[in-house]
Amino acid sequence: MISDIPLNVILMQLFFGLALGSIFVIMASGLSIIYGLLDVVNFAHGAFAMLGAYVVFCAVSLSGNFAVGIVSAIVIVALIGALVEVVLLKPLYGKDPLLPLLLTFGLAVAIPDVIKIAFGLIGKAVAYPAAFSGATKVGPLILSNYRMFIIVFTLAVLISLWIFLKKSDLGMIIRAATQDSLMVQVLGINTSRIWTIGFALGVGLAALAGAIAVPMMSATPDMGVEMTMGAFVVTVVGGLGSLGGAIVGGLLIGVIVAFTALVAGEYSNVAMYFCMAVILLIRPRGLFGESGRE
Amino acid sequence: MDEKLDKKVARRDFLKASALAGAVLLGPGIPFITRRASAKEGVVKYGTMHPLTGPYSALGADQVNATRLAVEEWNAKGGILGRKIEWVHRDDQLNGAVALRRAKELLEEEKCDFIGGTLSGAISLAINEFACKNKTPYLAYCMSDMVLGADQCKYGFAFMMIPYSAALATSKYAFEKLGKKWFAITADYRWGHSLLEGWMWQSQQMGAQFLGNVYAPLGTTDFSTYFTKIMAAKPEVLVMNNLGADQTAAIKQLSELGLTKQMKIVCTKTAMATIKEVGAAYDENVMGGMSFYWGLKDKYPASKKFIEAYMKKFGQPVEQDGETGYVATNVILMAMQKANTVTDKEKIVAAMEGLNYTLTKGPESVRACDHQRVQSYVLVKGKGTKAKGWDLADIVAEIPGESIIMSCADNAKKLPFANIKLPK
Repeated sequence: MISDIPLNVILMQLFFGLALGSIFVIMASGLSIIYGLLDVVNFAHGAFAMLGAYVVFCAVSLSGNFAVGIVSAIVIVALIGALVEVVLLKPLYGKDPLLPLLLTFGLAVAIPDVIKIAFGLIGKAVAYPAAFSGATKVGPLILSNYRMFIIVFTLAVLISLWIFLKKSDLGMIIRAATQDSLMVQVLGINTSRIWTIGFALGVGLAALAGAIAVPMMSATPDMGVEMTMGAFVVTVVGGLGSLGGAIVGGLLIGVIVAFTALVAGEYSNVAMYFCMAVILLIRPRGLFGESGRE
Repeated sequence: MDEKLDKKVARRDFLKASALAGAVLLGPGIPFITRRASAKEGVVKYGTMHPLTGPYSALGADQVNATRLAVEEWNAKGGILGRKIEWVHRDDQLNGAVALRRAKELLEEEKCDFIGGTLSGAISLAINEFACKNKTPYLAYCMSDMVLGADQCKYGFAFMMIPYSAALATSKYAFEKLGKKWFAITADYRWGHSLLEGWMWQSQQMGAQFLGNVYAPLGTTDFSTYFTKIMAAKPEVLVMNNLGADQTAAIKQLSELGLTKQMKIVCTKTAMATIKEVGAAYDENVMGGMSFYWGLKDKYPASKKFIEAYMKKFGQPVEQDGETGYVATNVILMAMQKANTVTDKEKIVAAMEGLNYTLTKGPESVRACDHQRVQSYVLVKGKGTKAKGWDLADIVAEIPGESIIMSCADNAKKLPFANIKLPK
């Protein structure tokens, strides 16, 4: 079936798939960091992404600048995340692992309701940033400028994240705490603060995903639900707690959805879950999951 | 000491249990605490269901507001035949199973005399069947196929359009004024398919050229993956057979690639909420259908009166979904008045059949043979960056209801649309 399709169509579809995958990657990286570090399955991840989208709406309305919007989204939502970790999550550590899960589940329901009260039921439009609106013709391909921006920007974010985790002192402590938090504590490092930073970083990434997605779909209170589902599928496919898995899984799912849309549009959503089911059957820990981890 | 320990454990168990209960309850949504109610003397009871959570919640809220307005207006005039109207409503969560449970509650626990609401063609079919079995009048607020073929029921009335009517109105205008080469993005469920049938039929009638269709699952957020096909087909008219967040995302992403400038976008049904959410990209190249737009107030005194009453109470203009609820509620009460009974359902149904009224637009009627409200369809185009507040669109045409509805005999057999073969 694919062989009948001209090459330029396949390349364009690949491009759209990578752009879609980029948002999945950023969402799933945040989810992975939180799970790896805190062992918390963050059901409210999409809700934080939605908060990011609303921060962009407010910031762009006030400043008219999309870059200001993105930075404010990351900073403000990361701060909210830190607050949530300190006030709500911290008391639950070491108790029944069901409790943090229920807490984030509750947040996933409550946060959109707060936004509904504050901003109303009708979504808020955010225009494409002027610098990246329109499309560019590259040979036989018509590529959306904004999606090129998404791909390049995601790459930049991932490289920065990688350098931060591999090279900086704080990054090394985070990685060490992911491996063995007790040992890190024995070495005299305040792991409690590391957890707060890790959670803030994770939801900050979610906010970033919401922020770059918002011009394509508008900010709506319930937009986080689909985003959470996508992030979970990617994380399961890539392997829980693995950053590399989030990247490969995200791009893979994006491309699979794109090509399914080309040949059988009505199955594009199902394809994502089908892919997850296949991975779970042949490699239950996901593509890059560690074998010891459940 | 022991006592303290016991208490602690008990508290923990309680927490766990309540957390579990919370999870169980939240799964299907928090049900309203149902009061024990019984059929009261001196009261007429109306029960409605609306999607107050989920992607259509803004529209569901409008349905509630407008129904409230109608009920309060009647009660202010002294009720109906000396009885007060009591009204209760439920959240159906845009979920068929939940809606059926709510309908059951409304009939069995709340003892409602008649029921209404819903905002999904598929759900309205299920509720229609349920109400029919219970011989209870049901007033659907949404576009529905329930007045066609075997789904016709003596107790079921549909107050928005039949989906094909919306498709006939928009497609005729599009093929005459905008171009005959068309491509469609269709939400992959019953309502979307019904709209596509209407477009396909009209296309055959008017000699238009169908270039292709993609079915997108309900809740699709990224439509770009469908654009490659559309760009290759180069249609003059791109049809949106979807609604809500799906339509918003599709139009925004089309504008991202500059496609809204290369082809006309025609939404078979659109909404003010969507125009607001799309923002500047909803410009003069984007057209949409609505059964009601508040701009009609400059054309009809009835529209003006209705819009003013609604704005006064709720501070913003009403969507078509709310307007539908307002008309439905009024019509059944008018029928009771005409039949001079609030209890004899057969007589009330008979009085609704063929009832003529002027409530929110020009003169309209409920067609006796299939229980469909015959009403006009309004076509609007966006104002782009010139949109301000609620001044979101310009009316380009109002298509008379009689011209977009098939004969009684055809509707009874779902013709001619039953013969349309949808693309794969």
